[in-house]
Amino acid sequence: MKARSFTACLVVMLGVMMVTGAGCSKKSVQAGSGSKSSEERLAKSRSGSVTPGESLNEGSLGMSGGAGDIGQGAGASSSFPDLTVSGRGTDAASAGSEGGGLRGLEPVGPGKGATEERVGGGTLMAKVQPSDSASRQIEEMRREQAAAAAAGLRDVFFAFDSWTITEEGRMALAHDAEWIKANPGSLIKIEGHCDERGTLAYNLVLGEKRAKAVRNYLVELGVSANRLAVVSYGKERPFCREQTESCYQQNRRGHLVLRTK
Amino acid sequence: MKGLSMLILALALGAGLVGILESKATDVFLEATRPDFEKIPIGVLGFQNGGGPEWLGGRVEEVLKADLRRSLVFTLVDLPSLGIKVRDVGNAEKAIFKQATDNGVAVLVWGRAGLKENGKEADVVVDGYVYDGGSDEIVGGKRYVGSTSVVRLMAHRFADELVYRYTGEPGIARTKIAFVSEVGGARELFVMDYDGYEPRQITADGFLNLMPRWSPDRRFLVFTAYRSRNTQDIDLIELATGKRWTLVSLGGLNITPALSPDGNYLAFTTSQDGNAEIYRLDTRTKALQRLTVNPAADLSPSWSPSGREIAFTSDRGGGPQIYLMSADGSNVRRLTFEGDYNAAPAWSPRGNWIAHVCRTPRKEYKLCLISPDGQKRVQITTGPGVDDSPSWSPDGRHLVFSSTADGKSHLYMINADGKDLERLTYGGTHYSSPAWSPAL
Repeated sequence: MKARSFTACLVVMLGVMMVTGAGCSKKSVQAGSGSKSSEERLAKSRSGSVTPGESLNEGSLGMSGGAGDIGQGAGASSSFPDLTVSGRGTDAASAGSEGGGLRGLEPVGPGKGATEERVGGGTLMAKVQPSDSASRQIEEMRREQAAAAAAGLRDVFFAFDSWTITEEGRMALAHDAEWIKANPGSLIKIEGHCDERGTLAYNLVLGEKRAKAVRNYLVELGVSANRLAVVSYGKERPFCREQTESCYQQNRRGHLVLRTK
Repeated sequence: MKGLSMLILALALGAGLVGILESKATDVFLEATRPDFEKIPIGVLGFQNGGGPEWLGGRVEEVLKADLRRSLVFTLVDLPSLGIKVRDVGNAEKAIFKQATDNGVAVLVWGRAGLKENGKEADVVVDGYVYDGGSDEIVGGKRYVGSTSVVRLMAHRFADELVYRYTGEPGIARTKIAFVSEVGGARELFVMDYDGYEPRQITADGFLNLMPRWSPDRRFLVFTAYRSRNTQDIDLIELATGKRWTLVSLGGLNITPALSPDGNYLAFTTSQDGNAEIYRLDTRTKALQRLTVNPAADLSPSWSPSGREIAFTSDRGGGPQIYLMSADGSNVRRLTFEGDYNAAPAWSPRGNWIAHVCRTPRKEYKLCLISPDGQKRVQITTGPGVDDSPSWSPDGRHLVFSSTADGKSHLYMINADGKDLERLTYGGTHYSSPAWSPAL
C-alpha cells in the first residue's frame, strides 16, 4: 500500500471507528456510538482466543490445546451466521443498503443537476481492538525458546522439498530423545518449518510432514507419543529472511520447543 | 466429454466466434477473443475547483483515470495531445465535443469538486458529467456528497457507473482485497481497496492468521487462525462488527478455506485423518463430508463459478499437481501435466481459466493459467521471485498475487493476459495471501 495512506490508516485505525453511512441514505453512523455492544463482544471473543483450550465463543466446539495433535477431531461449529446467498439476499435492495448499489447516470441539463448521492465508507469495518494477546504470545514464545535452549534440545534440518530425516538429523534426535526420557514431566512441541520457495498452502502441508517425521522418529526411539505435539508453520515464521541457499537451509527445519505452563 | 465437444464446436465455428458460449454442465465457458474488439476511447476533461482545497479536483481525476484504465473497457485518450483544453472546463462546450468526436473520442467526462458547509464539518461535493459522442448529447451525471475521507470512493463509484453504463457489468473500482500483513512479528488480516489504498487492519491476535477468503456477500472473511500457536482453526469474522466464530477445529491442519459461490458449503483442508484431505462443511445443516480419500496430500480447493466442481492441489502423483473433481468428491481427474510443481489453483469467475502457481524449469515459482479442459496453458509472469496465491478480480480480467520479485513479499495486480503488472503495496515487511472480493 502507498506509504502515506498506510500511515493515515493507522491513525484512523487507532482513533475512530470507520464512519459508514449507507450509500442511499442521508443518515450516517456516528463513530463509536451504536456499536458498543458488538465491540464488547469482539473484545471478549479475542481474549478467549488466546487461552489454550478455551473456545472462541459458546458456539464452537474447539479441541483442547493439550499435547498430541491427532486426538479426535472436535468437529465443526454448531452455530454461526447464515452464509448462503439466498439466506442473506443479494438483491439490489440489500446491496444498496450497504452503500453498494449503482443507481445509474441521471439526466442533467441547464439548471438541473443530479440528485445528491451520499457516499459512506463502503464496506462497514469495525476498528481493531489491540489486545494483550500479542505481548502475551511473545512472552510465552520467549519462555518456550529459553527452556528448549536450556535443555539443549537440537533441531533437525531437511533437504529441499524433503521431509526425510538425514543421518545428521537422526543424531540430533537421538540426543533429544535421551533428554526427553530423562525428564519425564516434559512436554515437547515440534514445529515444522519451510523455506520461502513454493506456495503458502503446500508449505503448510510440507511443514506438517516434517514435524510428523520428527515425532515418528522420536517415538521409534522410545519417547511416548502423548508427550509430543506437532504444529506446522509452513513458511510463515522463518528463522532467516534472506533469499540465499544458506538462509533457506536454516528455514527447512523441525524445531523442538519445550512447552511451558 | 462435453467440454471436448464444446471445443470442437468452437473450432468448427472458427476463430471469428464472438461472445461467450456457456456450458452450465461443465463450467467450460469458451470465450473467443474478439479480433475486432476495441476499447471505448474516453477523455477526462478534468474536475474544476468548486470551492475547496486545490488537490480535490486533481485527486478525483487521478483516481477516476486509474479506474477507467484498469477497467479494460475504456482507453484513456490524452486530450491535450489532440489540442483539447482540459483545465477549468466549467460547462463543457459544443466546440469541445465536436473537436473530441472528430478525433475519435467516444465519451467525455468532466465535473466539479468542492466543499459545502454542513454543520461543523464541511462536506465534499463532486459533480460528474458524461457526454456520449454516439448520441451527441450529455447523457447524464452524478452528484456525490460525503466527508473528505471518501473522495477516492466517490471517484470509484463514478468509474463503476461508467463501466456499468457501457457494459452492464458492475465494475471493479469499489472491490476490496483482503490480505495478510506483518504487524510486530505477527501476521494479521487486512482489507484494502482494490488499488492498494485505504488499508484497514481486521485482526490483532498477535500470532498467525492466514489465507482469508470472502463470503459471497462480502460481509465475512473465513481464514486460518492459530489458536495459542499450537493448533489451527478455521474462523469466520464479520467485518462490520469484528465478531468471530470458529467454524472448524479438527485435529492437525485446518487450512485453505473456500466458500462455495452460493455460500452453501465451506470447502477446506484438514489433516485430522493423518494426511491433508479436503472436506466440505454444509453451512446450513453443519454436516461434514469428506471429499478426498487418498494417502497423499489433497489441499487448496477452489470452486468453479457454478459450484458444481472443485479444482485442488494433490501430490498423489509425486509432486503437487492440479486436479479437478465434482463438488461431491466424485469424478477426480488430473488437470496439469507440464512441470513438476503446480499448486494454489484459482478458478476464474468466468470459468474459462484456472490460475495457479507453476514451477518453471529454472525452478522459479510463477503464475500460469490453464483451461479447465487442459487444452490451453499459458505462463503469465516471468523473472525472479516466488509468486503465490493468485486470486481473480470478479470481472475475470485481473489477478492479484503475492511475489518476492522485489525482495520482500508484496502484492501485485496483473491482467489475465500478463500485461499491466502493478505493485499495490509499499513499505512494511511482508504481504501475502491476497483475496479479491466479489463485486458489489
